[in-house]
Amino acid sequence: MDIKIALAGNPNSGKTTLFNDLTGSRQYVGNWPGVTVEKKEGRLKGHDDVIIQDLPGIYSLSPYTLEEVVSRTYLVNEKPDAIINIVDGTNIERNLYLTTQLMELNIPMVIALNMIDLVRKNGDRVDTKALSEKLGVEVVELSALKGEGSKDVAEKAIAAAKSGNLGNRPNILSGEAGEAVKAIEEILKGKVDDKFLTWNAIKLFERDSKAVKAMKLDAVTRAEVESLIEKCEKALDDDSESIVTNLRYNEITGITAETVKKGRAKGELSISDKIDRIVTNRVLGLPIFAVIMFLIYAIAMGGWSISIGTAATDFTNDVIFGEWVPGLFDSILGALSITEGSVLYGLIQDGIVAGVGAVLGFVPQMLVLFLLLSILEDIGYMSRVAFVMDRIFRQFGLSGKSFIPCLVATGCGVPGVMASRTIENERDRRMTVMTTTFMPCGAKLPIIGLIAGAIFGGSPLVAASAYFIGIGSIILSGIILKKFKAFAGQPAPFVMELPAYHIPSLTGVLRATWERGWSFIKRAGSVIVISSIIIWFLSSFGTVNGQFGMVDNLFEDENLVTEEYVADLADRMDVPVEDVTPMDASLLAGVGNTVAPVFKPLGFGNWKPTVATVTGLVAKEEVVGTFGVLYNFDGHAEQAVDEETGELLFDENGEPVMAELSEEGDEIWDRVAKDFTPMSALAFMVFNLLCAPCFAAIGAIKREMNNAKWTWAAIGYMTVWAYVLAFITYNVGGVITGEHGFGLGAIVGIALIAGIIYLLVRKGYQADDSVQSLTSVNANAA
Amino acid sequence: MMPLSMAGTGDMVTIQMIKGTDEVRQHLAELGFIAGEEISIVNQVSGNLIIQVKDSRIALDRSMANRIYI
Repeated sequence: MDIKIALAGNPNSGKTTLFNDLTGSRQYVGNWPGVTVEKKEGRLKGHDDVIIQDLPGIYSLSPYTLEEVVSRTYLVNEKPDAIINIVDGTNIERNLYLTTQLMELNIPMVIALNMIDLVRKNGDRVDTKALSEKLGVEVVELSALKGEGSKDVAEKAIAAAKSGNLGNRPNILSGEAGEAVKAIEEILKGKVDDKFLTWNAIKLFERDSKAVKAMKLDAVTRAEVESLIEKCEKALDDDSESIVTNLRYNEITGITAETVKKGRAKGELSISDKIDRIVTNRVLGLPIFAVIMFLIYAIAMGGWSISIGTAATDFTNDVIFGEWVPGLFDSILGALSITEGSVLYGLIQDGIVAGVGAVLGFVPQMLVLFLLLSILEDIGYMSRVAFVMDRIFRQFGLSGKSFIPCLVATGCGVPGVMASRTIENERDRRMTVMTTTFMPCGAKLPIIGLIAGAIFGGSPLVAASAYFIGIGSIILSGIILKKFKAFAGQPAPFVMELPAYHIPSLTGVLRATWERGWSFIKRAGSVIVISSIIIWFLSSFGTVNGQFGMVDNLFEDENLVTEEYVADLADRMDVPVEDVTPMDASLLAGVGNTVAPVFKPLGFGNWKPTVATVTGLVAKEEVVGTFGVLYNFDGHAEQAVDEETGELLFDENGEPVMAELSEEGDEIWDRVAKDFTPMSALAFMVFNLLCAPCFAAIGAIKREMNNAKWTWAAIGYMTVWAYVLAFITYNVGGVITGEHGFGLGAIVGIALIAGIIYLLVRKGYQADDSVQSLTSVNANAA
Repeated sequence: MMPLSMAGTGDMVTIQMIKGTDEVRQHLAELGFIAGEEISIVNQVSGNLIIQVKDSRIALDRSMANRIYI
């Protein structure tokens, strides 16, 4: 039989660090409460029969947030063989509150007194032995970050699990309350699991609705219990829940008074407090945040000399995947006498190398971004940002807590969506899940990079506008959605623990960066390779004038490619006759062309961008991967473009001037540029940034919503929003910039803007459930 | 008695009473906010507070701080 050991403790107390240390696993650790949003299992190193279970951090076993529900359900229903209760040594009193509740579960337990190095550094002294005796539970000193004591903790926990010894635990409930609970225990005997008799009796006494429901007691028993509770409440002049809470804290204060000596006087400011005074300052808070974010994106994606990310990505794109890799494959293929024009050559060079290369080129930039975001998380700045942003987000009906998911989503949408679990209010949580992926995630950077590079000469304004569009969409959606009945009501009050700042650990940050980057590279090696092959196949084969084969080869047959045929093809594919390429006859062109009318009103109704948009569902970076394959054809002369004005060049006779084929590199950009106007390119970017996220993120949304209807509502909302904004960008934006004249599109666009404004300012549904809502308390209290 | 939201940066105060629904009071209690507890205000930004309670820093918005009386 396997031994199951659960790790339980307050948020940010170091559970995940200990879990990683014990299991050799590499779960992500960040310095903000709520990093572990789902339970994770691992086997203890060196003990294959011991399963360690990492639970989300909780303050108590009364379920207030979703994480608390997850942890409590596990502990009560799965009944682990032992619990390792991690107690933050720098904050013993508060942490022991949960301990007193865990002890009532009657499960063998070990207390790991974590951050013992910090305790010593602060000049605090903890008498571990005395603490152990008073609690009746073994207390082991631990520094999870340094790996000191973790083996000891695990061994003691295994011993406790094997012996089943509960120790001599103190009886916290004394006096009237103690008697009432005893009496309830008598009533419950035989009705619930014997092991959980005390736990159930206390929950019943506290009137914990979830636990009461789970016990399924008959009306007579409940009435009997209720009269006991009421009697006790009358005697003590307080409600039962508060009575228990006070008894717990009394016991804890008694225990710590004798065992813990603080080096710092109460109320004295720690370094973290002093830093907080500055970074959460009324005036400086926002500018500091803005400067930090600006620096991060400047370093990762800007166009300046500090922009390491951009420089590395340019090098990778232009040199590694522009010259070295294709050159290398050329010589390998040459040595194997696979010649250009053969199917295999096309598959490898035009399919895999072009597709995967287009995606991998952005890895350096992404790694820099991930690294900087990891540092920010590790320091402990995230929860401060939530506090600073709360004031602003509240104006739009969102809580500051919604900002953490958004910030995490700038790295990747999947953890971003999952980070929404710390939001207590169900409506706010749903709304955050629906809007978080509007943020441009790491995988959307290549799209931004492509559009900025190909159409806008690498202007940093494009990237800036992408973030602006993302945040703007979240805020506007917040206002709009709040007016609907399903989301109406004030956001839940903001309560959040701010962890102590610490210097980021080099290994931790590098590990987090590498993991996020690696999953990206892995995707490039798996899904991206496969979809690149599929895209290449579908784009290379097709029917030319009734004959099926590789379109490139078929096009060389002059009997097939008649003038009539080309004219017909140009007409079907909506391209000028002189621009027809063999690919336009491919299977993919046919499929894309069928769907393309959907995007016609957005200005990119050509089959190539259509296909790229659809493949973006696989992974957003695949949009660029697809472009890599589809625009990687060669051998056809192109019309030259005036470098200054960007206009096509013609000679004196009105004949187009053909460009000389440049070496690899920016060539793809030139071809992409031909299919777009500035506004249609922007519309393409807007749509791809905002529409349904990749399958991985859709999966995360489905898990968080836990409801098919809400999942579809979320995806539907995102796609409609994306379509509307892209439509406005192309049609109204085009008129403003003079790209095309005023017409039906502009009229519809203006109507859509009016519609959005109406949704923003209309008087929304007024929640009359305020009697039950948390916020009503405000009115009562004031 | 006055609501905690009226306290200023640097003040050290004792909680007298907490109002609100059971759920909210319970959550505040879990975080260390109970009657009789001495707390200090690390920072105050238009009613939103960062409070040092039981050796941890907790951020509260104004609506929450209004329920705690000092």
